[in-house]
This record gives sequence, C-alpha cells and structure tokens, in this order.
Amino acid sequence: MLSVKQVSKIYEGKVAHRALTDINLTIEAGEFVGIMGPSGSGKTTLLNMIATIDDPTTGEILINGENPHSLKKDRLAEFRRRELGFVFQDFNLLHTLTVEENIVLPLTLDGKAVSEMKTKVKEIAETLGITAILNKRTYEISGGQAQRASVARAIIHSPMLLLADEPTGNLDSKSSKDVMQMLQEINLEKQTTMMLVTHDPQAASYCNRVVFIRDGKFYSEIHRGDNRQAFFQKILDTLSLLGGDGHDLSQIRI
Amino acid sequence: MTFRKFAFNNVIRNIRLYAAYLLSSMFMVMVFFTFSIFSFHPSLAGDGMSTSAYIGMQVSSIIIFVFSFFFILYSISSFLQSRKKEFGLLMMQGMSMKQIRSMVFLENMVIGLFATISGILLGLVFAKAILLLGENMLIIEGKLNFYFPLQAILLTFVAFIALFFFISLFVSYILRSHKLITLIKGNRMSKGEPKANIFLTLLAAILLIGGYATAILAESDMVINVMIPVILVVSIGTYLFFTQLSVFIISRLKTKKKFFWKNTNMILFSDLSFRMKDNARTFFMVAMVSTVAFCAIGTLYGFQSAFIKEASNTNPFTFSYESYGENEENDVQLINQTLQKEKVTADSEHMMWTSHEMATGWTLITKESDYNRFAKLIGEDQIAVKNGELIIVEYPGSSLNNTKELQKQRVELKSGDSLQLEEVVVSKALPNQYSYYVVSDEDYKNLPKPIDEMSFYAWQVTDGQEKVFDVSAELYPQLNDYQFKPTAYSVYVKEKQYASVMFVGLFIGIVFFVSAGSFLYFRLYMDLEEDKHKFKSIAKMGLTEKELEKILTRQTMILFFAPITVAIVHGAVALTALSHLSEYNLLKESVTVLSVFFIIQVLYFFIVRHLYTKQVKTEVL
Repeated sequence: MLSVKQVSKIYEGKVAHRALTDINLTIEAGEFVGIMGPSGSGKTTLLNMIATIDDPTTGEILINGENPHSLKKDRLAEFRRRELGFVFQDFNLLHTLTVEENIVLPLTLDGKAVSEMKTKVKEIAETLGITAILNKRTYEISGGQAQRASVARAIIHSPMLLLADEPTGNLDSKSSKDVMQMLQEINLEKQTTMMLVTHDPQAASYCNRVVFIRDGKFYSEIHRGDNRQAFFQKILDTLSLLGGDGHDLSQIRI
Repeated sequence: MTFRKFAFNNVIRNIRLYAAYLLSSMFMVMVFFTFSIFSFHPSLAGDGMSTSAYIGMQVSSIIIFVFSFFFILYSISSFLQSRKKEFGLLMMQGMSMKQIRSMVFLENMVIGLFATISGILLGLVFAKAILLLGENMLIIEGKLNFYFPLQAILLTFVAFIALFFFISLFVSYILRSHKLITLIKGNRMSKGEPKANIFLTLLAAILLIGGYATAILAESDMVINVMIPVILVVSIGTYLFFTQLSVFIISRLKTKKKFFWKNTNMILFSDLSFRMKDNARTFFMVAMVSTVAFCAIGTLYGFQSAFIKEASNTNPFTFSYESYGENEENDVQLINQTLQKEKVTADSEHMMWTSHEMATGWTLITKESDYNRFAKLIGEDQIAVKNGELIIVEYPGSSLNNTKELQKQRVELKSGDSLQLEEVVVSKALPNQYSYYVVSDEDYKNLPKPIDEMSFYAWQVTDGQEKVFDVSAELYPQLNDYQFKPTAYSVYVKEKQYASVMFVGLFIGIVFFVSAGSFLYFRLYMDLEEDKHKFKSIAKMGLTEKELEKILTRQTMILFFAPITVAIVHGAVALTALSHLSEYNLLKESVTVLSVFFIIQVLYFFIVRHLYTKQVKTEVL
C-alpha cells in the first residue's frame, strides 16, 4: 500500500540540516501505524513527505505502487483531494464555514452532487456523534468536537490513506481517548489505512504497530498483541530507552 | 525596556505589519498636501483663476480633509481588528486596558508622525510632476512654477498631527468594549454578518429606483430643486443596497445547496458573507467617492467641450464682423489693413441683415443673392428661390433653432400677397443661430420696411492660413469681442479660460478615483494573512492552482467591480440629469469619461489581482 524506500531529507540553508536518513517503511492496506520519536527526530518531516506536502531529497515514496511526487501540481492536488485524508493537531477547520460545510469541503472541491454529500455527511456525523453540532460555527465548539469534525472531513471521501499529525496534541485525555477510539473503529470497520505521528504513548497504543525514529534514523519497531495495556507499557519502555522525554513537544510542525 | 520603548519597538520591529496602515495614511497626507500646494499656488490663486474656482478649491480641500479623517479612521480600525489577538496576549500578561490604550496611542502618534513627514516629502515630488503635466497638457497663462510651499507644509503638518491626535484618542473608544475572550479568539470570530431585513431590502430598491426616476425625469430647472433630496435618497439607497440587498442575495445563495456546495463556491461565498460588514462599508464609500469623481470630471469636461464646440460651431468663417453702424468703416479698414500687413489673402463679403416684426417676434429675412454669395465663400450649396416663394434656413446643431415657429407664420409682402414656404434647408452659409427666411431678390424689395438692420462682414482666408492666429491675436484686443469673431482664436480664448478650472477638476477627480482604488487595495490586503492561512490549509486537502486562481480572481473581481458598477450607474444618472438642466447634450462626454474610468479600473483590477495571487501562491503552493 505505502512504501517508503531509502528516503532522506536534507534542509538546505546556511547550515544544511539532515532531517531524515535512509528511512524504509512499508504499510500494508488496512494497517494502523504509529510513528514515535523525540522532538526533532523527523516524525513530522516523514509525514509531510508521505502527505506529498514536502519532497524527499533522495529515495522514493510509493503509494499503491505509484509515486505521487512525480505528478504535476494540479494532478497532485487532485490526488490529495481524493486519495488522502488529513487530521491536524490544530484541526485546521475554516472558521468562515459551519462544521457541516467544513466536512463536505473536500467533496465540493471535487464537484460531487449535493445529494451524495448530504447522505455522506449524515452518515458520518451519526457514526462520529457530531450530528448536533453540524450547523455550528468552529468557534462555538470544543477542541474534542473540532477534532471529530476534522476526522469526519478527513474520511468523508473514503481516502486510501489517512494521515494524522499529533491528532491528540491539543486535546485533554478524555477527548484524546475518544478520538483515538474513533480512529481505531474507522480503521477496523472501513479498513482505511492510517498513519499517525504522535508523542503521546496513550494515543500510540491504539495502533497495530509503532515505529520509532531517532535523529532521523529508524530506531526500532514494536507490534501490538491482543492487549492494549501491555502494548502501552512496551511503548513506554521503548521511549525510555530512546532517551527522549515522552512528553516533549515536537519542534517541527507543518 | 521602558513602556515607551516597548511601544516604539513594537512599531519599528514590526514595520511590515504596520506598512499597509502607514502607506494608506501617507497617501492621504500626500493628496492633501499636493492639493494645498495648488490652492496656495501664486499663479493659480491670483488672477489666473476666477473666484468661484478658488472657492471650489477651498471646499475641495475641506472635503479631502474630512475624507482623510474617515479613511484613516477606517484603516486604523481594521488594522486594530487584525491585532486583537496580540492585545489579548498582552492583556493575559497583565497589561491593563489603560496601558493598551496608551500603547496604541503612542504607536499611532509614531506612525502619524512618520506618515505626515513622508507624505509631505512625497507630495513635493508628486506636486512637481503634476505641475509639469499641467503646464504641458493645458494652456495655462503664465507658468505653474514650482515654489517652496511653506504655507502648505505648515497647514498639512498641523492639520494631520491634529488629526492623528484625535484619531488616536478616538481609538480608545473602539477598543473599549472588548472582552479578553473575544480578543483571544481574535479574527476567528465573525464580525457579525449583517442581517438582511426584507423591509430594508425593499426600501433600498425603492429608494434607488425612486431617486433615479426623479433625477432622469426632472426637466430643466426642476433638477436644481430635486438635487439635494435625490442625492440624499440615493446615498441612503446605496448604503442599504450594499448592507441589505447584497447580504440578502448572498444568504439566499447560501441556502441553495446546489449552488453553494458546488466546487469553489463555498469558499468564495462563505468568505464574502463573513466579511460582508467590512465589505459593505468599503463598497459604499468607494461607490460614493467614485461617483463624486465621475460627476466632477464629467461635468467639467462636458461643459468645457460643449462651450468650445459652440464657439467653433457658430462661425464657419475665418473672421466675421457685425455692426449696427458705429465704427464700422474704421474697424473694417483695420481688419483689411492687418490682413494686408501680415500678407494674408482672404475673400470677403458684406451684407445687411434685416429684421422684421412678425407674429412670433423679430424674424430675420435675407435675399437669395446675399445668401448665395456667402454660401459660395465657404463652399456650401447655393439655393434658388422663385418669386412668391420662400425657404427657411436653419443652422446645423444650433441650440436656438426656431424653424417650427417660422413654419407656422405667414410672411406677407407690402402688397398683402403672402409667400409660399418651399423647403427647409440646413446650411452654415450664414452664421445665425436662429433660423431665417430667404426670399427672391424681387420679393425682398417688396417686403415691408424692416425694423432693424445690421451690417455683416465675413472673411475666408485663402492663403496664409498659418498667420491667422497672429492676426487674430493682434486684432482681438483692438475690437469689440461681440462684433469681431475670429473663430479659431475664440476657441483658444475659451480653452484658456477653462484650462485652470479643468485642471483643478481633473486633479480632484483623479485624487478621488485613486483614493477609491487604494481603499479597495487596502481592504484586500487587510485579509491577506488570513487568506494565506486559509488557502494553506485548503491546499493540504488538495486545491489545484487553477481553482486557487479562480477563487482569488472572483474575490478581487467582486471587490473591484461591485462598487464601480454602482458608481457608474450613479454617475450616468447624475450626468443625464445635468444635461437636462443645462440643455446641452453631454452624452458623448459622459460616455467618454465613464468608459475611461472603467478601463482604468479594469487595468487596476488586473494589476492588483496579479500581485495578490502571486502573494498568496508563494505561501501556498
């Protein structure tokens, strides 16, 4: 489904900075993968490159066997619009629109029929429990609700790959738990492939597999068994071995 | 770091943020200053300009000042609007409202001082350019010298420092009512969509239609009586049009999901309604200001060309001279001698105009042979009138044409026989604005005794055309200007009389029009940061370059053409009413002025769209 081959990223500048070195990563269809690492380890850089927002310096990224980075700008925009879904730490909802309008935005950009959009919004809003706030404006809802709305927006067009950048970063623990459970359910029910960048071990414990990177290099990888609590513990152990503080805020943001 | 130092650094280190505000203030200072340079200009304020034009300039500078007040007040309030979040942050750090106010006050004074000084400096350069332009393009007697305008500098400096002082005080009022939470949420909160009220929407339509109808239907003198009420009604109508009707339309469109949820419409229209309150005010001001500019320039240009057209139209001959007997021989001799002296050869003719008392008043009658001699002089068709018949001749394009009345009345000979009307001829042969009869030479002798006679001479230059102007200039001061009419020179004299008035009028018009443009420009740039941020997040979801351009183009298009279209309609109606009042046909001039403005606006639109799209693109794609 997704394969990242020998990807490196160097930021040019007065002092060239090597953000990622020879990263290899493969994600199967329907998998839910978490990326963890201390701040500045290159998590978000990796996500941005998979999201086609940023280009790798060397190496290639294939999504379903094709390299989106070789697409023309306009085709790339369409690719993102149709095949990818994004969830951001700061929600990125447009405050000029209502929650409902925000959710249908990717579909309207793609010129879908109104009736189709309506049914989809209704269906998703029910699943995510945000029917009541559909007609509210973004400044009238709480962080947890905003994140659900942004998840709804990310999955309304049934993308192949859902990318989430610190989706729980701005939420309290209760809301974090709700959002993560929701993502897990979507992953199970719709078989949507997901990739999540986080520094929150609690959030990461909902994944099938967690990949750790450190200083831009692959560090280790752990798989989840049946027990989420045990997995959580394993994540904590790896993090302490990794040396970074699990609660560090990442320095690189989109 | 003292508090004052903090406020100062805040401006200096953040100059990019303040740039739009600083530039707009500077622009207003520059306009006012350039204007006052003119009103204090020695050669304009002296004999060169009539008192009415001088008063006109004084009034205009007051209007400009009042306009600058609102313009700056408007810029500052939108500027503060965009800094709400910063104020919220400062308040959270424990800054009191009083301190914020004094900070804003200090900032404003720093910016005001900068703007005033740089505006004056720029104004000096700008004025020099305008003066050069004025000298070259218009015939103004004496040169418009560049002088060191101490008076203007002082006036501008004092006026604007005072203005900034009051505005800075006034700003405290703007900031007063905000709670910390609304400040922190900053510009995420809608400034409130104005609610469309059915009653007010209808009222807008009624006021506009009523105002227009009154203005267009009013006949001649009625125009003056209805002018003030119509201006009031239309102004209110325009305000309601933008605040009510537009909101009404947009909110109707938003409920139509088929339309609103289609492609990029949602982004465009949600923004429009979100910014409607700001936009409506800007649109209103821009529309009114542009209307003033159109009317000022349209009127001046229209009247100037009407008068000049009249001057050049009334006389087909190089020179003409008319006399009721006094000085006739001396004057004619003087003209002939001067022509000879300058080696200009000219054909000339002489005739007697006779006026007769008739049913509709004094009527001019001439005979066939006189008419034909003059017609031959300028190469017009000759006519033949049989005995017992008469022909009516009217002057082309004359505003005093009375052919219809002449057609109705009977012309009788001494014997009591009446003459039969044969035809109506349009000809320039005899320069008379009233229509007249031509009868055969035979019948002419048998007409009753005329009540008045006038001697009429005409010269048509055949060789030495290039010296005509010199001859005219030499003769003009020596002869009465109602008797002696050197056609080309009269036009020149008229043009000269209107030149300074035209110049001032054009300047005012341009200033107002450019201000309107800048208004729109700043309105757009006020939202630049927000737009960048917004498009950045939409682009992550996938927005093609074409779609981005489409949204931005439409957004700019609405901003640039909604108010100007209204202004053009207003201007067209106003100029129509004006031509009814003056009974001059100003159609051609109005169309010229309005289309020139429209073309400039289109160019302006393309430039701004290009700049704005480039700005957003660099950030987004």
